[in-house]
Amino acid sequence: MIEIKNVNFRYKGTDEGGLHDLSLTINDGETVLLCGSSGCGKTTIGRLINGLIPHYYKGELTGSVTVNGRDIAKTELYDLAGVVGTVFQNPRSQFFAIDTDGEITFGAENIGMPPEAIISRKNDTANEMHIERLLDRSIFELSGGEKQIIACASVSVLSPDIMVLDEPSSNLDSSAIMKLKAILADWKSHGKTIIIAEHRLYFLRELADRMLLLDNGRITKELCADEIKALTFADTEQMGIRPLSLTDIGYSHESKSTQNERLTLENFVFTYKDGKHGINIPELELPTRSIIAIIGHNGAGKSTLARNICGLEKKCKGVMKLGDKTLKAKDRLRSCYMIMQDVNHQLFTESVRDEVMLSITDKQMTDTDKLQKSTEILTQLDLSAYSDTHPMALSGGQKQRTAIASGIASSKPIIIFDEPTSGLDLAHMKQVAGEILKLRDMGKTIFIVTHDMEFILSCCDHIVRLEEGRVVGNTTLNQDNAASLRQFFVSEI
Amino acid sequence: MIKIHLDPRTKLFMIFAVSFIVMVNAVSPMEWAVRIIVTLIPVFLLANEGRYVSALRFLLCYGAALLLLRFYISAESTGVISALLVGYCGIVAQFMPAMIMAWYVIHTTKIGEFMSAMQKMHIPDGISVSLAVVMRFFPTIKEEYLSINDAMKMRGISFAGGRITKMIEYRLVPLMFSCLNIGEELSAAAVTRGLGAPVRRTSPVQLRFKAADWLMIVVFAASMILFVISKYFR
Repeated sequence: MIEIKNVNFRYKGTDEGGLHDLSLTINDGETVLLCGSSGCGKTTIGRLINGLIPHYYKGELTGSVTVNGRDIAKTELYDLAGVVGTVFQNPRSQFFAIDTDGEITFGAENIGMPPEAIISRKNDTANEMHIERLLDRSIFELSGGEKQIIACASVSVLSPDIMVLDEPSSNLDSSAIMKLKAILADWKSHGKTIIIAEHRLYFLRELADRMLLLDNGRITKELCADEIKALTFADTEQMGIRPLSLTDIGYSHESKSTQNERLTLENFVFTYKDGKHGINIPELELPTRSIIAIIGHNGAGKSTLARNICGLEKKCKGVMKLGDKTLKAKDRLRSCYMIMQDVNHQLFTESVRDEVMLSITDKQMTDTDKLQKSTEILTQLDLSAYSDTHPMALSGGQKQRTAIASGIASSKPIIIFDEPTSGLDLAHMKQVAGEILKLRDMGKTIFIVTHDMEFILSCCDHIVRLEEGRVVGNTTLNQDNAASLRQFFVSEI
Repeated sequence: MIKIHLDPRTKLFMIFAVSFIVMVNAVSPMEWAVRIIVTLIPVFLLANEGRYVSALRFLLCYGAALLLLRFYISAESTGVISALLVGYCGIVAQFMPAMIMAWYVIHTTKIGEFMSAMQKMHIPDGISVSLAVVMRFFPTIKEEYLSINDAMKMRGISFAGGRITKMIEYRLVPLMFSCLNIGEELSAAAVTRGLGAPVRRTSPVQLRFKAADWLMIVVFAASMILFVISKYFR
């Protein structure tokens, strides 16, 4: 049993994510879903239970947290390892080893389990989770979904009674989410207590026994299993959270791709060094000045296509025809701008304004013109207040807007987004959708690589679906085929 | 080709031996012979990992460096071109072999094997865990770096207008922030899985020296002894 009593917590140096007089009791075997906007404190609750607060993340803490009778504040983290297991959001940064076997056994090695026991625990875990084929592989060749499954296995190996998951689906596609769901269902059937903080909720509809809605460090709403199942799209919209069912998401957005000008990709054939992954697209005709979603499962070639559109793969002989221009890889590098999934990789300067100015490369403009243009762009993206702030001091959403701002400043006609909404709550997702619509109104052609159906239905005009590197669908999105899109995402459930 | 699998302890010894022999100045033909043998073994291992092109490229560079050292460069050579060539030969003949060896070790050693080896050598857990994290970070740094490079290409600032300081700054600042974040999240994930428990860590990996290990150890130990004797005791 987990008992959180009158907890107040404030992180050192920030007001975000704190908790105010929060009390919560979680019974053994219960599956509790924590939701709410970013910074509402749901991750913080997970950290109270796994002991990262107060032992790793420092701050002001009052109140008490007991897990299975242990006072967390007085229990060392290593003593909790066999009691509470934690799966984190980002598969990239939770791995200690670089091979899957080493990762799975890491926890058992730490607590000094005898070698024979470690090996048998590893094999048992692999059997239970049906992941024998993932053993003895390099972490770096796994897909995001496979990494997250290994993360689950590496926690499961110590067989803790309590599992804490912090936004585990953020980087996963729909089929990987279904595998995660199966793992959760299995843990639940074995009587484990599961606490999961999430934005994307649809896969938890049947699993959650209780749902807690948080706002600003307080629990504002509590729903039981039946109430969760009864939630409609309108309900969740009103609560400000992502839908619990994908089937009734409305498509109200009006597609505007009525332009005559077309963009054609020709001979986009590219294979990675491993000889397995790549794309093979002889010809693909697309509308310009519209928002094009690139969908498909992990490994279908979405990111590869995006990289090739950008011209980042020099070996690709394919050309893009845009109006009367024929663009080779090198030319495309100058006409395309990509907002990466991890925007930290593309912010280089010391202030948001410098970041925008760096992208204005028009030699005919004077410095005053540039300054004026940057001010305009910053205002458009609500960044004026941060123009002198260091980009690394911004929140995730603000960083992404800064990257978009420098994309606009570069005056490139094509803007590509790689998973812009991974790990975003409803409000932020809508904000991103709004920004992308603005880009379209400026006359940009926008490509979006995404797994997020809710997001596609809120802003995209056109869908390109890839499978094994080939285009298997290329349609304008409208009321009628929104249904078949839903089918694509829901079919795995 | 059969893939050679060496014990991490052998590999560590090889790094030490290669660095020592290659870095120390060689004069006599005997010393040169030892040095060339000690350079060729890592290159062979590189090829054994399937990196034929890299191995061949290095062999060509190395051959050129040896010829230059033999016929062109002497203690008396002066001028800019000779200085550059001396630099080139130094890098290829004295740094690269050790780099190749280090690449091989990082590329082929699993963290589990490494930890087990460190335990057998009775190195404290604190030191081996830190070293393991360093090893784990190399591929991560590479991934992050490539991604930052792509971002720079897209913004047309790969050369930052020719300003070297900016070129370095634009690469290093995002890289450091990324690594810092990953490091913090990584250690949070590690401590929730019991890292730091006051017990002796165990390892499921059973290490045993095999024929290839003994062969390498004998070859490298003999090379070192020969080298030291020829250099200091004659």
